[in-house]
Amino acid sequence: MSNTPLVQMIGIEKHFGGVRAVDHVSLDLYPGEVVGVLGHNGAGKSCLMRILAGAMLPNEGEIRVGGKTVTFADPNDAREAGIETIYQTLALADHLDAPSNLFLGRELKTRFGNLDDARMLEESRKVLARLNPNFKNLSDPVSSLSGGQRQVIAIARAIYFDTRVLIMDEPTAALGPSETAMVSDLIRQLRSEGIGILLVSHDMHDVFDLCDRVVVMNKGRLVGAHGIDEVTKDDVLSLIVKGELPADWSARNLEAAQ
Amino acid sequence: MSQAVKSASGGTSSPLASLMPDASKMHRLSALLTLVLLIIGFSLASQSFFSVNNGLTVLLQTSVIGLLGIGLTMVIITGGIDLSVGSVLALSGVASAMVIKAGLPVIPGMTFGVIVGAACGAINGLVVTRLRIPPFVATLGMMLMARGLALQLTGAAPISRLGDAFGVLGNGALFRVVEMQPNGFPKVIFPGIPYPAILLLLVAIAVAYMLRRRQIGRHIYATGSNEEAARLSGVRVDHTKLYAYVMSGALAGLAGNVLMSRLVTAQPSEGVMYELDAIAAAVIGGASLSGGVGTVSGTLIGAFIIGILRNGLNMAGVSAFIQQIVIGAVVIGAVWIDQIRARQ
Ligand SMILES: Nc1ncnc2c1ncn2[C@@H]1O[C@H](COP(=O)(O)OP(=O)(O)O)[C@@H](O)[C@H]1O
Ligand SMILES: [Mg+2]
Repeated sequence: MSNTPLVQMIGIEKHFGGVRAVDHVSLDLYPGEVVGVLGHNGAGKSCLMRILAGAMLPNEGEIRVGGKTVTFADPNDAREAGIETIYQTLALADHLDAPSNLFLGRELKTRFGNLDDARMLEESRKVLARLNPNFKNLSDPVSSLSGGQRQVIAIARAIYFDTRVLIMDEPTAALGPSETAMVSDLIRQLRSEGIGILLVSHDMHDVFDLCDRVVVMNKGRLVGAHGIDEVTKDDVLSLIVKGELPADWSARNLEAAQ
Repeated sequence: MSQAVKSASGGTSSPLASLMPDASKMHRLSALLTLVLLIIGFSLASQSFFSVNNGLTVLLQTSVIGLLGIGLTMVIITGGIDLSVGSVLALSGVASAMVIKAGLPVIPGMTFGVIVGAACGAINGLVVTRLRIPPFVATLGMMLMARGLALQLTGAAPISRLGDAFGVLGNGALFRVVEMQPNGFPKVIFPGIPYPAILLLLVAIAVAYMLRRRQIGRHIYATGSNEEAARLSGVRVDHTKLYAYVMSGALAGLAGNVLMSRLVTAQPSEGVMYELDAIAAAVIGGASLSGGVGTVSGTLIGAFIIGILRNGLNMAGVSAFIQQIVIGAVVIGAVWIDQIRARQ
């Protein structure tokens, strides 16, 4: 882990009318670090992730990439900064096939500026096989694929390009056990390559298995940010549900430190 | 088809699913079959239907609807609609005629008309993307404004005496063979391929290429398929929509020039309700009003179905009123099939 954060979110706020979806949240992410983002439904996790992805403008706050302040007017700006996102909604165009979705907005072209569908198919085959060796329906519209296959396309799209920060908003929600294991392996591998990962997840087992740190959101506020070995699953649950750590936490942690 | 294929294949790859032609190909195939059946039916009903001359008439009539339909197809694929094409056609034709009457040569004059059409399309696109007005309302407004402007500019009177050159685009033909007879009258040996039909073919090829092989085409499909997903993927959704409306306007302008040239008169009241024929052509050809689906070849088939239906009913002596009823029913039928497709 190096000392300069890949990205810093400072004092981010987002409201919808009276709803404070994100309430003054600050969060850093370092290279080679996996940070779990937890919280109830509606806690504001997706909003925070979308703001970092350039898909949503914050009302307040600052984003720094490699120490420099940036403004993301649209998702392209974030992607150019190396921030790739797997959206909870997957964000796939149903009528297009897997390669078209994988390269959507960043199509490969021939010398004459035509779409290079042959090369996009070939590249898609490679990156999809890395996630699911049985992936074959490359020329079907993605609407005809299973939830797991769709999710695999969304993941493949986020790792194919030159990624430095990967935002994964519940990436395994539609996956079976073997695909989930594949994603876990992938996360470990990406971390070892120095990529920073924000992992939004409800699966406590995965979080404790994969993450270096956890941050917990509750009603838009960041109620806890801890190294994974400072907290137990029950501590995290308490943060998620009540917005605070159990009363005995500091006593326990002091004990452990001694 | 999504659900059907999903349940049939259980989510994994199934050899059956890949053997089946996809829904959009099926739709075009059935439209083509309908077209063939119509031709056979009308040929049996009327002797003069299946003749070279009538074929050319159909080709001419279809070229205008075809040009409008191709423009509309792009807009419909983005998930929008353009109700203004009939009026823009009239305004463009009138604009061309006015500048030509004022002394501009025919080619720059007609180009000016096409640019006027494109400008109307640009206004449509900007109203839809900047003001966030639904396409139905935005283009309905343009439908009234363009028609009103065409009528106002001309005082509702046709512009005639535009010169022979103005009539070439609509009346000329390639490879026409004419022989002078001893009695001094020309005899047409081969009527040739009408310029409007050639123009339609060229436009169809160009737009089909753009939709299939260019990035903007891919983005047009993506925008209509899932606008939010397209945006998140870095597609400039507004730019893409604007492009489609401009193209639709420009093609309406081109269609206007073809039509007015054929009449050798600019009629500000031409093209009323043409948008419905053009929408019908696109939908019959498999374009989905919910966006993301549609092809140029399908729309061409649809345009010929509409053209042949009108022509055949005419030849069979069916009254114009009954024709309206038939075409109206065909349009509802096509949209109904589209709905069934979307629900599956
Ligand atoms: N586009 C939006 N418009 C209005 N309210 C929104 C929008 N997106 C999210 N919200 C609200 O913001 C809050 C946080 O939502 P979200 O970030 O999706 O939560 P999470 O991902 O943690 O489940 C919720 O109350 C949600 O209803
Ligand atoms: Mg969420």
